[in-house]
Amino acid sequence: MSATSSPVVQRKLDPVTFEVLRRSFEYASERMSQVLQKASFSPIIYDMVDYSNAIFDPNVELIGQTANCPVHIAAMQFSVQASLKRYELSTLGEGDIVLLNDPYSGGTHVPDVTLTMPVFFEGELLAVAVSRAHWTDLGGNLDTHIGGEGLRLPPSMLARGGELNHELVGIIKNNTRTPQYVEGDIQAQIGALRAGADEMLRLAGKYGADVVKQGMQEVLDYTQAMTAAAVRRIPDGVYEATDYVDSDGFSDEPLTVRVKLTVADDRIEIDLTGSDPQTVGPINSPYANTASAIYYSLKFFLNPDAPPNAGLYRQLDLVIPEGTWLNPAWPAPTIGCTTATSSKVCAAIWMALAKAIPDKAIAPTCSDANWFVVSAADPETGEVHVLTDLPAGGWGGTPYNDGMHVTMDPLGNCQNLPAETAEISFPVRYLSYEIITDSAGDGLHRGGCGVRLEVQFLGRGQMITMECSRTREGSPGVNGGGYSRRQRQMRRAVDGTLSTIGGLDDDGSWLPQMLGNIGFAPGEAFVFESAGGGGWGPAVQRPAERVAVDVRNQFVSREKASETYGVVLTDDLQVDEPATRERRSQMAS
Amino acid sequence: MSRFAAHFLRGIDETMLRVGIDVGGTFTDLFGWDLSAAPGEQVREAKVLSTPADPSIGVMQALEAAGIDPKDIDTIVHGTTIATNALIERRYPEPALITTRGFRDVIEIGRQRRRHLYDPYQVKTRPLIDRSRRFGVTERMDAQGNTVTPIDREESLRVIREIADLGITNIAVAFINAYRDGRHEQEMKQLILEVIPDAQIALSSETRPKMRELGRFTTTVIRAALLPAVSEYIERLEQKLAAAGSTAPLYIVKSNGGMMRGETAKERPEELIESGPAGGVAAGSYLSELLDAPSLIITDVGGTSFEASLMEDGVGLITDEYEIEWERPIITPMLDIRSIGAGGGSIAWIDDGGSLRVGPQSAGADPGPACYGRGGTKPTVTDANLVLGRIDPTLGGKFDLDLDAATEAMMSIAEALGMSVHDCAEGITEIVSENMASAIRMVSTDRGRDPRDHTLVAFGGAGGLHAHTIAQSVGINAVLVPRFAGVACAFGATTMDIRHDLEATFYSESGEVDADALNTAFALLEEQVSDLLTKDGVAAERATLERSAQMRYVGQSYDVSTPVPSGTLTVDSIAEIATAFHKVHEREYGVYSESFGVAFVTLRVTGVGATEKPDPEAFTAAMHHVHEGNGGGDSIKQRRKAYFNGTHHDVEIHDVKRLSVEQIVRGPAIIEQQDGVIVLPPGAVGRADRYENVLITTEEALA
Repeated sequence: MSATSSPVVQRKLDPVTFEVLRRSFEYASERMSQVLQKASFSPIIYDMVDYSNAIFDPNVELIGQTANCPVHIAAMQFSVQASLKRYELSTLGEGDIVLLNDPYSGGTHVPDVTLTMPVFFEGELLAVAVSRAHWTDLGGNLDTHIGGEGLRLPPSMLARGGELNHELVGIIKNNTRTPQYVEGDIQAQIGALRAGADEMLRLAGKYGADVVKQGMQEVLDYTQAMTAAAVRRIPDGVYEATDYVDSDGFSDEPLTVRVKLTVADDRIEIDLTGSDPQTVGPINSPYANTASAIYYSLKFFLNPDAPPNAGLYRQLDLVIPEGTWLNPAWPAPTIGCTTATSSKVCAAIWMALAKAIPDKAIAPTCSDANWFVVSAADPETGEVHVLTDLPAGGWGGTPYNDGMHVTMDPLGNCQNLPAETAEISFPVRYLSYEIITDSAGDGLHRGGCGVRLEVQFLGRGQMITMECSRTREGSPGVNGGGYSRRQRQMRRAVDGTLSTIGGLDDDGSWLPQMLGNIGFAPGEAFVFESAGGGGWGPAVQRPAERVAVDVRNQFVSREKASETYGVVLTDDLQVDEPATRERRSQMAS
Repeated sequence: MSRFAAHFLRGIDETMLRVGIDVGGTFTDLFGWDLSAAPGEQVREAKVLSTPADPSIGVMQALEAAGIDPKDIDTIVHGTTIATNALIERRYPEPALITTRGFRDVIEIGRQRRRHLYDPYQVKTRPLIDRSRRFGVTERMDAQGNTVTPIDREESLRVIREIADLGITNIAVAFINAYRDGRHEQEMKQLILEVIPDAQIALSSETRPKMRELGRFTTTVIRAALLPAVSEYIERLEQKLAAAGSTAPLYIVKSNGGMMRGETAKERPEELIESGPAGGVAAGSYLSELLDAPSLIITDVGGTSFEASLMEDGVGLITDEYEIEWERPIITPMLDIRSIGAGGGSIAWIDDGGSLRVGPQSAGADPGPACYGRGGTKPTVTDANLVLGRIDPTLGGKFDLDLDAATEAMMSIAEALGMSVHDCAEGITEIVSENMASAIRMVSTDRGRDPRDHTLVAFGGAGGLHAHTIAQSVGINAVLVPRFAGVACAFGATTMDIRHDLEATFYSESGEVDADALNTAFALLEEQVSDLLTKDGVAAERATLERSAQMRYVGQSYDVSTPVPSGTLTVDSIAEIATAFHKVHEREYGVYSESFGVAFVTLRVTGVGATEKPDPEAFTAAMHHVHEGNGGGDSIKQRRKAYFNGTHHDVEIHDVKRLSVEQIVRGPAIIEQQDGVIVLPPGAVGRADRYENVLITTEEALA
């Protein structure tokens, strides 16, 4: 709850109508997401919740978006604008829907498919409903050219006057490994658009289109005012930090994000100058995606409760030089941008914020979605299934608490694939989904732990793609907190032996962590260990009893408790007070 | 045949005194029907303070306050929040969990999602069992129920001994794929009993054998956690009642809207999560039949929360996607009751962007609203209603509300917004009503139901304050404020049937269903449900069994409940079930497609043991003070200034007990009940029916 001395925006609408409309806009996109999730046919939509729905105003500014995928927060605006540039609004009518996924005309990466539908009230444009969802497969593999990443669709008419364009649907079905999902997902996304339209029409019917449109403008002003007030609370200055992706999968070189935040009164300039040039591997991030990453990472600290809308953009000035991997040109491949890349932009911004507002900032998370796509052949019929999952890592420690264990990265809010759903749907066996001891960054407030996921193939299996990073170093800590454990990709042979296929091996050698086209024999398993979050504050300041609780729960080993935290435990895992005092004073000197 | 008729035909003298008792956080409510008493004296009511340390004390005090001798009771039905509170406060003997190696963290990790998208400081709630008490063992079954790896007995015994050394006797056993076959879990149970003979054990294959580990594991853990506390509480209450001379069977209200015998409840404590609010839905069900209004939206306004649920054909909608906390799901079928943080204590405030917000923070009971004069300085919804003249400053002589304190609290935000105190107060009531309306959308629009097809029923003493405004916000023109709105849950408890829902996983695509296997599976469930009903004292001729199937399109993971006919199912009837599924799917989600395959996922059998209910005539007779044909005027007990639509009005305050049947009261006006207030804004029209319920509609709808 805030003080009543906050700035009050000048409004035409009375406070009550404004508040009711603000909530109603929020509800409109929530309702869209309920429909999409419940009616969709792709596990990545219904189970992993990798989608966003939004309402735009007649000027194509984002009014409100559902709480699903932060990495879509600005990207959708670019998609809508590209769609409406290709098909001008004046040429569109009721029931017309434009579809696109092309990263080089309004999209970000190939699997994210955006549907745009104008909503008319009494013949006039009232709003634009937009639904973006990650489809399971549109063909493609890891490649050095966008052409190899799957079917690329520029803005195309999916429906005219409610009539589906069956030719377009046919083209899509011909270019995917999972044609069975296509019609269902299209149907679900259209259902979502209609649900959003219904809500907006209900509001227009109740309040009149003019009041609704006025409400849209005031909701933008409202988010802008909250953003400006929060920026003013950050000391003016220049704050810099870097982070990196371990490699692009085609060379061994890390790719660096360089962030410079310049805070001046109520504005922030975010300058990515000095970041690496675009690269041949698929982690280049189109402008729309990089902008989203910047916006969502700042939203955590500027206006977490304000409606996610274009009002946020107004106080932030972006400098993203062309030709860098954060604003690449065709034909740079981009499939890993939403996960591997956006999360490093976020982590770098959070580390820069830790310099500006050290008592408010939190440590970076594992900073990866760890999204993978594998195919698995049925050992009896030979039928090939495609499944995807995303084992999360830990969150960073905060000024107030330890980080959360195994929680989806800030970039999204996807669910994992339950083992039992996986096993009844696909020829695989899930052998582990367990927290890893000592995987968190140590600190006064430690990070959350990472997880060990193990998927066994009953027939032949193949890793189609996996994007991740943090295999060279773990997640960094802030304010004296430590690094987390590294991520690692492995193969478990039928005889049980483990070998590294990505990341740092026990022998000190390192293998590229962007995986593609790796075969697994029947009975072999893919094993992934995610990183924990970074620590917050010095580990030696953590109260000894909290360390003991962590050891009892096997989040921290007894050895690490002594080595890093300076907490010595007895055999029954109680704090040995004298030994701990001695150990901690040794460490201090 | 109407549901009433079935019961009324039976001699109601079988049950003379039927008592419902609802224990809430603040009050313990009692409602009793004494059919041996003279007409007009058959209802017993009491409201006493709850006794959280031992709620059974409050139960006995309520009986005393109502003047009921426990010896005379024929049936006692009890709704209790004991299970829910124990869970939320982690107040239970912490169990151990034994699970498949590699999966002991499922109940802590959940599905990896965070509750607040952009809150950097959020944490997840403490797991229901700490990690140090969760053990993985070597065993494995595949999704078809074949043993891949048998249980490692030696390792298991080591784990069990470790649990025994920790002094733990309540244990949850939940293995991957055990929904398909429970034999590994049964084997583990035997091993546990070898080491800990008095262990209380919950198996996931018995608790809720449904696919997807998080829900099944969590529900099993909840059963194990609650077994000791719930059985101990019920036992204590039974002893107290017996000591006071009662020989009546004790029934406990279940989350599914029915009830079960205390003995059964001790074994199925996870079915008590909505034991409190479920009584309200039963009350709605009774009203639905009484007033021939099949479609209702039931609401309950409390001090800090607002609850809504939807009733179709007199039956509350059921969900199996309930979470007790973020990512802590419980998968027993439960009434779909949605709760949001909005009530009389909700605080109005101005956010960083300058918008007027109401709640979810609440002033609670202490300090409470500013007008309580207990040190509260923040303006609440109750303060707003007082400033507007909508509630009596003396609350009917029971209390002395401080109007000045309320006005001063309101002033602080009114000035910041540049509004008058009265406009600000009215705005607060509108915004809180809009917030409440969002809970109604959750149970209606979000489940494919049009709220406008329903009558809104307002329970809770403050239910009538906002009911009309809430209804208008969702387009409802018919509102019902029942006479017993203040003790609705206790009233509802007296009208409940015994009800059990059991489920089994039966994953099969509809084109490939083995009809014999399906018939066998339903028959087995029906046998189990019948056993439960028999155990709860239901005579065979009073039991009805209903089948349904949770079904989905192949490839989806959300199910919709589809009715299944009784009797032997054939290939043809299976095809008909699939057709019915498309219709249900379209209603819930707005879309369907006959080109996709359909799969059965879970079979459910619902068994109902009908109980006798007081008939409408008894109900009418019980509602004393009903005036027949009095001509208007004398129902006005006072006049007061009240503020509506930006102006002060001189409004009439009516006493509901002095209203004559069908007398029209036009808004702006206020009707006061024994424990509640009904506000009729301009344009609203109220009238009392012969049961002393107040019905509200609009001038337009009336014209």
